Amino acid sequence: MGIKLKALLKSPWVFHLSTGSCNNCDIEILDCLTPRFDIERFGMLLAPSIKHADVLLITGSCNRQSVIRLKRLYEQAPKPCLVVAIGECSLSRGMFIHSYNCPVPLDKIIPVDVYIPGCPPKPEAIIAGVVKLIERLSLPKEAQPQKEVER
Amino acid sequence: MNREEILKDIRERFKEDIIELFDKSPKRVYIEIEPESITKVASYIFKDLGARFNTASGVDARHHMEILYHFTIEALNLLVTLRVKLEKSRPQIHSLVPIMEGANWIEREIHELLGIRFLGHPDLRRLLLSEEWPEGVYPLRCDYKEWDKDAIRDRGV
Repeated sequence: MGIKLKALLKSPWVFHLSTGSCNNCDIEILDCLTPRFDIERFGMLLAPSIKHADVLLITGSCNRQSVIRLKRLYEQAPKPCLVVAIGECSLSRGMFIHSYNCPVPLDKIIPVDVYIPGCPPKPEAIIAGVVKLIERLSLPKEAQPQKEVER
Repeated sequence: MNREEILKDIRERFKEDIIELFDKSPKRVYIEIEPESITKVASYIFKDLGARFNTASGVDARHHMEILYHFTIEALNLLVTLRVKLEKSRPQIHSLVPIMEGANWIEREIHELLGIRFLGHPDLRRLLLSEEWPEGVYPLRCDYKEWDKDAIRDRGV
């Protein structure tokens, strides 16, 4: 494991972006950060700026206006940047799939590392998802499960 | 003035403008008026009766477009809704911004989503839609068809 990856996994700072969600997933993310679930024990801290963050937590259904901001944020994030999609809306747009304002799902815009389904997902599910992400990255590169090739 | 006096007063004052006054419940009154007299009636309710302008809502119904202007008379706990019906072929109405500034953004929103023109609005720019959205396509109309060729509408399973 390189020093860069080791430092990343020791304390992955997260940046939270809502691309037009109903706020339920955002409340669950805040639950994770507060002492009851306390993901700070994994070294995770909410970063105030994307330039300090390693992980991008995305909620919401990616509407036309916020996709522009999402792309801008992803460009500014220091690489390697891990992307975690939280909630049904950011996975597949949920009930907004036919909305005039939500043309493309999140994973067709930027590469997504972890999908956490649920409406909203429980804090336990979010923690499990992020821990799985850390576990996968700490494996040597050959042992990592490969992403499914797009058809 | 109590509730009955105010309703009687409105009914007499705007005899030719009111099409129908529907007294739905103790807290709710719908007044359908001619589109031409919206400025007159709204300014009376807003300025003289001291009502608060809550919001407006636009509806694309089957035979006409509708705008509902919701006012609250707080002293009476009464919600007064002014309803106007506009022709589908030429949806336009006088703007209420010269009377009340609070109508500014909701009129911009109704304009971009339903395509109703507000005559005399100072600044009828877009409010919510993105810049890539084509001119003259109104998403909340009944006859809206998808224009975006790149949109993906299946879940990929």
